[in-house]
Amino acid sequence: MKTNIIKHIRDDFWFYIMVLITVMFVGFPLLWMALSSLKPSVELFKMPPQIFPKNPTLLWYKNTFSNSTVVRYFFNSFLVASSTMIIDMVIATLGAYSLARFSYRGRRFIMMTVLSAYCLPPIMLMIPLYRIIAALGLNSSYLGVIIGHVTFTFPFSVWLLIPFFQKVPKEMEEAAIVDGATSLKIFSAIMLPLCVPGILSTGIMAFILSWNEYLLSSVLIISDTMKTLTVGLANYISSTEIDWGAIMALGTATTLPIVIMFSAIQKYFVEGLTAGAVKG
Amino acid sequence: MERARLMGHKRDYHTQRQLLGIIFIIPTVLFLLVFVIYPVIYNVILSFTDARLMKPDFSFIAFDNYKKLFSNMRFLKYVKNTLIWTFFSVIGQLLLGLSIALLINKKKSGTGLRSFLLIPYVVPAVALALVTKWVTNGDYGIVSWWLNSLGLLEYRQSPLAVPGSAMAVLIIVNIWRSYPFPMLIYWATLKGIDKELYDAANVDGAGTFQTFWNITLPHLKNTTIVLAILRIVWTATYFDLIWLITGGGPAGTTTHLPIMIYQASFGTFQTGYASSISVVLGLFLFICVVFYVKKTIANDR
Repeated sequence: MKTNIIKHIRDDFWFYIMVLITVMFVGFPLLWMALSSLKPSVELFKMPPQIFPKNPTLLWYKNTFSNSTVVRYFFNSFLVASSTMIIDMVIATLGAYSLARFSYRGRRFIMMTVLSAYCLPPIMLMIPLYRIIAALGLNSSYLGVIIGHVTFTFPFSVWLLIPFFQKVPKEMEEAAIVDGATSLKIFSAIMLPLCVPGILSTGIMAFILSWNEYLLSSVLIISDTMKTLTVGLANYISSTEIDWGAIMALGTATTLPIVIMFSAIQKYFVEGLTAGAVKG
Repeated sequence: MERARLMGHKRDYHTQRQLLGIIFIIPTVLFLLVFVIYPVIYNVILSFTDARLMKPDFSFIAFDNYKKLFSNMRFLKYVKNTLIWTFFSVIGQLLLGLSIALLINKKKSGTGLRSFLLIPYVVPAVALALVTKWVTNGDYGIVSWWLNSLGLLEYRQSPLAVPGSAMAVLIIVNIWRSYPFPMLIYWATLKGIDKELYDAANVDGAGTFQTFWNITLPHLKNTTIVLAILRIVWTATYFDLIWLITGGGPAGTTTHLPIMIYQASFGTFQTGYASSISVVLGLFLFICVVFYVKKTIANDR
């Protein structure tokens, strides 16, 4: 009995040590970014570095956000990401419902194409998309980069959504048929409302992926006024004189909204992803 | 009568329903055709041409781009860099993901912890690249300072400026960014293992290690294969992190094929040549993808 308790305490001790190490490893870069953004220059460039700011300041944030270019970047990113999200949600909801609940010729092939498209990385699409978008004259409009973002987010969205539609019991559909409901009515009155959490969280995931995307955004946008945050931020690092405090503030401001959004939808995201992937 | 009416309604419903299913899939199919399948084919076509970045027209030059690629001495070096980057990143993220999954699976109240540990999945690569450059800054970076204190790095030097360690930094940062996906999938697989198996093993007096070896590991085999394929594809083609942290330097030691593609198309404007590199990379990955898709679709879905 006694040895059991000791074993338990010892197990717990190692468990928490491991958790602590993991949390420190994961938290360090983010914490360091946030802490650096609050330090005045003197502390930022002090050697040896000190962990916590002695005189925390919001100066970097004030400087960054009084710059109209930065505000513009935020606006552009928000516009591109929300448009991607909306287009994505419409196409993916219809597509996922069709793939999840219907059987017709070619369904399996479409499913395989969606899954292959999900594996297709942006670097493989970059060159042809650049030419197609330029040929369509869309490289000086937001639409070009939005199309680029939809190409890699929507296969993922379809894939995440399929299990949500599959989960709705067949009996509900059958009962509605007996009541004389049309198939469109069944979709709008039963399927859609039941899958709202899945659809919303998939949409937010698309928003996040679009917000974070760098390669296609940097290639498909020509005009300076339309550049997104990631592209703007990247230009700051490549400039010769790096203003570290301001960059850390901007980095934190870019990351924080995304982390908050992700925390809100995480439950559904985990549900959709694990349902789709575990069967491997 | 009533029954016949109902049957008739059901039949009508079924034709009408079939139609709806097909209408709903049309946007997906159109989008895939125009912006995914066509670009892939177009990319292959471009690889046989002398296309340049800003020029809409081009002419065919057969295999010239491929000949040029395979006679480029640096190509082999960049393939080697790609393999090193991919191999260590994938092994690292699978191992870390599995270890953390085993850890959070131990306690029932692991949800809060799991949420926290998923955060790197959504951290923008640009932000991560910025922090990496800041902490490895030669003059003021905390990691450079730590490494210097441990005697591993010269004073006022950045690990990104040293050929071998630049790649090591990139791989560690990439593992940090990408372990959450394997962690989640492993965690879900662990949840799916029948508890009775463990109880039976306990009764038989099997130790922790024996149980892990004989019960847990065999159940993770399929998951590991699928995860490894998927992550190989994504890691070998992942551009943002390396580009933003080292840009392929120092002296090309962290240049992998995606960076080579980017430099060929947007650095020297040789679109056709760049396409041929991405076809070569794509062919290798295509084999992986076919294997992955077959394995995933075969298991129901």
